[in-house]
Amino acid sequence: MTMPMPTRRVVLFGAAAAAVSLAGCSVTVGNPSSAQSGGSRAPKDHYRVAYIARAQADSFAAWLANEMKTEAATNYKDIGLEVFDGQADDEVENKLIENAIANGYDAIIIQANNGEAQRPYIEESVKKGIITITTNPRVKNIDGSNSVDAKPYDQGGVVAKYALDKIPQGANVVVLMGPPGNFHSDQRRKAWDEIFFAKRTDVKIVAQNPANWNKDEALKLMEDWSLAHPKIDAIVSMNDNMAAGALEAVKGKAGFANILSFGVDGTPEATLLVQSGKMTATALQNAKELAQLNMKAVHDLLTGKEKNVNVDIGNPLITKDSADQYVKLYKDAGLIKS
Amino acid sequence: MLSKLKSVEWGRYSIFIILAVVFIVASFLSPNFTSADNLFNVLRQVAVITILAYGAMTLIIGGMIDLSAGSVMALAGVVSVMTFKSTGNLLVALVVGIVIGVVCNLANAFFVATLKTPAFIVTLGMMLAARGAVLQLTNGQNILQLGDFVLFGQGTIGLLPIPTLFLIVVTVAIWYLMTQTRYGRSVYAVGGNEEASRAAGIAVLNVKYQAYIVNGALVGLAGVLFMSRVNAGLPNAGVGYELQAITAPIIGGTSFSGGIGTTAGTLAGALIVGVLGNIMNLTGVGSYVQQIVMGAIIAGAVAYDVWSKRGKAKTVILKADGGKRPSGGAASPEPATAKTSSAP
Repeated sequence: MTMPMPTRRVVLFGAAAAAVSLAGCSVTVGNPSSAQSGGSRAPKDHYRVAYIARAQADSFAAWLANEMKTEAATNYKDIGLEVFDGQADDEVENKLIENAIANGYDAIIIQANNGEAQRPYIEESVKKGIITITTNPRVKNIDGSNSVDAKPYDQGGVVAKYALDKIPQGANVVVLMGPPGNFHSDQRRKAWDEIFFAKRTDVKIVAQNPANWNKDEALKLMEDWSLAHPKIDAIVSMNDNMAAGALEAVKGKAGFANILSFGVDGTPEATLLVQSGKMTATALQNAKELAQLNMKAVHDLLTGKEKNVNVDIGNPLITKDSADQYVKLYKDAGLIKS
Repeated sequence: MLSKLKSVEWGRYSIFIILAVVFIVASFLSPNFTSADNLFNVLRQVAVITILAYGAMTLIIGGMIDLSAGSVMALAGVVSVMTFKSTGNLLVALVVGIVIGVVCNLANAFFVATLKTPAFIVTLGMMLAARGAVLQLTNGQNILQLGDFVLFGQGTIGLLPIPTLFLIVVTVAIWYLMTQTRYGRSVYAVGGNEEASRAAGIAVLNVKYQAYIVNGALVGLAGVLFMSRVNAGLPNAGVGYELQAITAPIIGGTSFSGGIGTTAGTLAGALIVGVLGNIMNLTGVGSYVQQIVMGAIIAGAVAYDVWSKRGKAKTVILKADGGKRPSGGAASPEPATAKTSSAP
């Protein structure tokens, strides 16, 4: 299953967004202790790379898949990238990895649905000598595999740190989490615990539940919570979709005009909300940057320029002060219509 | 005689008694539960699922099913949003959403009724195709800045939320359609016994097409309300909604084997699920426990409903009619009446 051809707007956005956020990127290249992925390779004119996306129905995963296609088509003429949809299903994702191994791809990039469920298949791919990269999230402790990821702890952490001075004394907050067991949700939540809640013991969590990254589920939860707890000072959300859904629930509702809201991802919607002052802060998880680093990593590994790559993208904070530049980027890319 | 009547009425209204019990218990658990704000809140929250559930009910009564409701809802809602953004006309956007739902369900009907392909497989295919279509249409990205489109999902007329108003209108329309029209009686007849219906002169093919058209219109409307409510065009919306839509009529006494079910029962089923979710959120119950409680109460409610009606059937068969009257599941008054008067 392949993705549609990239648009010019998306390419433009990518270049600009990467320029903004690459500054915070941390890179570890060429770890000699595990430099064995594929061993020495004969150079080829054309490489076949499979990208197994977590779920095309997930807007971030779809954005990442689009960017991967764009990046491959634009900057790596010697790579043919094919995108497969894991449908947020471990069984489907595992089969796709098996198929990619059997079909003799030169490299496989895997966006795991569940790292532990995919681990044996990732290990098998490495064992067969195929260049194997895990991305968003990284699947750790597999000798010979490579990774390109964001640091979800840092993404949550940069927002939590900002919230330290913003959330008032004795505040009541609600917490919205991603799917139970999800690595990114758990890490972001852990960052909030360690960086914010451990220091701000005056703040009370009056309600928390998973809304599974979904805007509609967060909307319904917040509709109920806002009735049960008439004083809620802040929404702490592990992604922007849920934060936006919760804000929708209290829009125009008496007593919630000044509610603070914190998310992660830096989606176009959240960026607009931050710019307009309705949302307080978010951290950008830049799919374009992830795609660029993934394609660079796979190319370097295939051509023998690098033996092992483990890279992280940056996580710039978006607040009202900085929102304009991100809104402009999204507008230039056509992801926000003027 | 009175005691016999009472036992019949008890079984007939057991799902509403369960709803009343859930409602009373909830009112003791949280003082906020019975506030006007919260009651409107519940009615607003259940509107989309209940509208979908009426479509599912119509099909199940007619011996069919629709597993594509969630995906078609997303497609219809997103196309409606796109229409509004390009025309700025709410009515046109609403109509387009409904038309998309109808068109998808006409395709379902063609395979199910004309080609006699199993509905389960056909609508599973439509579920995948509609989801693929909406993802392709949006490139997997949410559509933002809906402007006045949010009126459908977030507006109010006086105190009454507009989604609730839609729910009331649809409830009355579906009740009328299923109980007061030849079409409704035919759906019950076809679901109860397709061959007998055909022999009785009912145009089975037409009835199946009509049932899918009704379902499609409701799915399209639900899509418009959903997107308006969340203030975004979400291509990944509605995942799993087809199962939630089926749950409400089944809790409300609709028989999976067809021919039996009521509008009021479906509404009660949807409200039981809605009230349970609401009270658990109001009282701060964690999501894991919520799922356990929801599953147990749904299974318990349906088991009690079936058990109470089985008791009623025995009473009727053994005592009232001397065992001459067929039981037929006896889930509700509507189908029994409809079945005996289903000739065209």
